[in-house]
Amino acid sequence: MSEDGQGRVVIGVIGDDIHVVGNRIMQLALEESGFRVFNLRTRNRPDHFSQAALETNADAVFVSSLNGEGEHWCAGLRDRFVDAGLDKVLLYVGGNIVVGKRAKEEVVALFRGYGFDRVYHQEPDIGVAIGDLIEDLKRGRSAP
Amino acid sequence: MAVPRPEAALVDIERTRRQVLSHPLARGLSLTDTREHLAGVPQRRFPITAYAQRGKAPLIQPRGGVPTFEGQQRLTQQLSAAGADFLPLTIDSYTRHNEYETATQLLRRSEEEGRDYLNGYPLVSHGHELTRELYVDIDKPISLRHGTPDARLLAEIAIASGIAEIEGGGICYCLPYSEGFPLDRCLLYWQYVDRLCALHSSAERPIHRESFGPLSATLVPPAIAVTVQVVEALLAAEQGVRSFAVSFGQTGSLIQDLATAKVLRSLTSRYLRDFGFEDVRSYLVYHQWMGQFPHLRERAAALISGSSLVAGAIGADKVVVKTVDEALGVPRPEVNAEAVDTVRYLLDIFACAAPLGSPLVDEEAALIESEAKSVLDAIFRLEGDAFWESVFRAFQMGYLDVPFSPHADNANRLVSMRDAHRSIRIADRGNVPISDADARREKELLAGAAAPAEKTYRQLLRDINMMVA
Repeated sequence: MSEDGQGRVVIGVIGDDIHVVGNRIMQLALEESGFRVFNLRTRNRPDHFSQAALETNADAVFVSSLNGEGEHWCAGLRDRFVDAGLDKVLLYVGGNIVVGKRAKEEVVALFRGYGFDRVYHQEPDIGVAIGDLIEDLKRGRSAP
Repeated sequence: MAVPRPEAALVDIERTRRQVLSHPLARGLSLTDTREHLAGVPQRRFPITAYAQRGKAPLIQPRGGVPTFEGQQRLTQQLSAAGADFLPLTIDSYTRHNEYETATQLLRRSEEEGRDYLNGYPLVSHGHELTRELYVDIDKPISLRHGTPDARLLAEIAIASGIAEIEGGGICYCLPYSEGFPLDRCLLYWQYVDRLCALHSSAERPIHRESFGPLSATLVPPAIAVTVQVVEALLAAEQGVRSFAVSFGQTGSLIQDLATAKVLRSLTSRYLRDFGFEDVRSYLVYHQWMGQFPHLRERAAALISGSSLVAGAIGADKVVVKTVDEALGVPRPEVNAEAVDTVRYLLDIFACAAPLGSPLVDEEAALIESEAKSVLDAIFRLEGDAFWESVFRAFQMGYLDVPFSPHADNANRLVSMRDAHRSIRIADRGNVPISDADARREKELLAGAAAPAEKTYRQLLRDINMMVA
């Protein structure tokens, strides 16, 4: 296994959200699964993710939102990646990504429409996303 | 040595005050205007009166904030009708970070589209004149709930709106809520807020301050929570605050909750007295489980019920309640009102005459007290001209270390985990100056809690998610 192990992942919390616990645990879990993690921690703007992905040559970006600000900030995120020539970078989003109680399918469809490859709204086990990432990286991203 | 001293009170805040109030959203607010409005606020809107009139059960405080005035008015009336003793005004996260323009834009969008684009009430955008209208026929204290490192303008507008309880503090609203807001500036800005509260207080009608003890609400050892609470009570007392509530979040262990309450109550009174602040009235507030909440509503309801029993058993003066939708985001008003009603019902049935005790509680309390005193005494011994400087230094040195704080100035060297009885134990004290004997005792109590070869992240997740699994 190379020094980057399974791959390079940028993670961070979007918006003015500073929920750090999931972010810390996600870093630990990805590292324990062999990934090289670049942690942007909390309070990130959409540009931070695309810039970091470019700088670190990331394979995937995990965006999280716990306070529901995700809906406001994630709408144009994929476009920034495309503009930066990063169409092949996998985009995952997870947490509590919209304000209020809404059907999971509706939320998944909304964020899939924003160009996210995987959407985990209120998914309690972070192992699921890591398993999916390992599978997705084997296949590589084909832009829709 | 820089111990708390009454002479540390800011002598003159008028110059800073003019700067703070020069913001257009202060809308010409003046000292006289605030004084006049406060003079007309009913006595029952002051926490000191609510606390004096409490019966056997703890008083009830929900959280709640929505963007629009009409929405907040409905929520306030619903919560009051459901039996809340304190009514919340929870502030949105843009306002907490002083981003008033964004808050104002999203308020307008919420009003136009009839959907909530903010996770609280943008008090600065609404202003004091409109906000006074929220409370014209309310005779209960309103509590400002936020998480703002620089709350100077927010507190000015809150007090001018007739809000007599301000939650927060230089540590508790910085370390858990901010990544990069400089801690020393935050401590100074909260001196201003404390002083402002004191200047608008009289003996019968003090503006009450409350600290936020749950901190990151994630595996915070009780001794750390107690230390931070005592420090914030002393910082507020220095500025002349005379009515103050210390608080802590449900730990997940009944024994540890009983012990934490006992130590927090006794150390707060003792240190206030020792430093010459015996005229400060202190109260104990208990936060229902602040960690990861069950998604299943039945389990969330069960957890809320259990927490209510603990609130009674520890003899809390007030309990801050959660809702069954906690795991799902900002609760709907009717769900919030339901929670108040449920907790009211349980507290009335299971009221305790006095805090429960047992030899196990005494043993746990002795450990927490010994640890908290070690840390406090170490802080008092730090060099500095003022107590707040010693507090700032304590974080730089890692004497105070809050697990899972997002803040860049937090040492993150202390590691905590749950023992076999689910009490929070210090696995590695980092630089926190608890005694060798206490550190050894913590490790002994932790022995046997983890399965061999279990991944660290899974063990921490299990500990953090204990109420979900």
